Amino acid sequence: MQSLFMQTDWASENLQVIRTLMERGAVYRRALAPVMGSIGLTGLASAALAVIFGFDTGAAFTCYWMAVAVVCLAEALLLVRRQALKDHEPFWSPPTRRVTQALGPAFFCGMMAGLAVLRVDSAAARLLPPVWMVLYGCALHSAGFFMTRGFKLFGWGFIVAGCSWVLASPLSLPVAHCAMGFFFGGAHAAYGLYLHFTEKPGNAT
Amino acid sequence: MNPKPFLQLDRVIHEKGRLPIMSLLAAAPELSFTDLRDTLNMTDGNLSMHIKTLQEAGFVSVTKSFHRHRPLTTCALTPAGRRAFSDYIDLLEQIVRQAKETKQSLQKK
Repeated sequence: MQSLFMQTDWASENLQVIRTLMERGAVYRRALAPVMGSIGLTGLASAALAVIFGFDTGAAFTCYWMAVAVVCLAEALLLVRRQALKDHEPFWSPPTRRVTQALGPAFFCGMMAGLAVLRVDSAAARLLPPVWMVLYGCALHSAGFFMTRGFKLFGWGFIVAGCSWVLASPLSLPVAHCAMGFFFGGAHAAYGLYLHFTEKPGNAT
Repeated sequence: MNPKPFLQLDRVIHEKGRLPIMSLLAAAPELSFTDLRDTLNMTDGNLSMHIKTLQEAGFVSVTKSFHRHRPLTTCALTPAGRRAFSDYIDLLEQIVRQAKETKQSLQKK
């Protein structure tokens, strides 16, 4: 009888191992290079437009970059949807759901930080870019547990850069536009390019 | 407690090295050889050997192609492999369920 119960323990452990490995196997890989590339290009173009049109007030800066974030999210969703349709896969697959859930809290905090600056004191807008960078880095790091390995490192890059920016003296808003373009635009474009040349075909799940 | 389900477990899948391969492949349409090797921390030789066994059993299909002028080997579960893996999990669940029932009946006595 005891050996049979030992077999049962072993069966439960095996089921747990299978579950863990199946979760690990369903890593999110869909359209990562196009998503990163398009976010990068949008970021760079947005920074250039911001410098040209000179959104120099705190409120304008906050509203402008929050709108850019919405555009980037929409772009990402459309690209992911297009890839899912192309591969005849469900859009809302379990890996997509897990990545969205991982990104959600930090994105929500970023949005609330922007709204708080608009509502309370738009002069604090100069502090928003590093806060957004740290939150974005945390979001990427969380999502990295369900994505390819490089994303956690990419997230750490944003966290470190954001923290360094917080410790340094706050930048003027025109310079902050350029910095946003460099980090949210340039870094994404570069990573998108890297993924384009290194990603394997067969963007499963 | 009925030992029958335990004896019915597929011996090809029921192996320390092959069960993780089947689990990973069951969760994705296909995975590259390097993805499998890196996720499972296996050596090339060890992984090749297990994949060959699974291939011979008709559970895994292997496709060799080229991606950006570099060879790419991808593995996927065949319909028979998916069925066998599903049966394997059913048997494991049956073993756990039976043990719980036996334990409960013993506690009542």
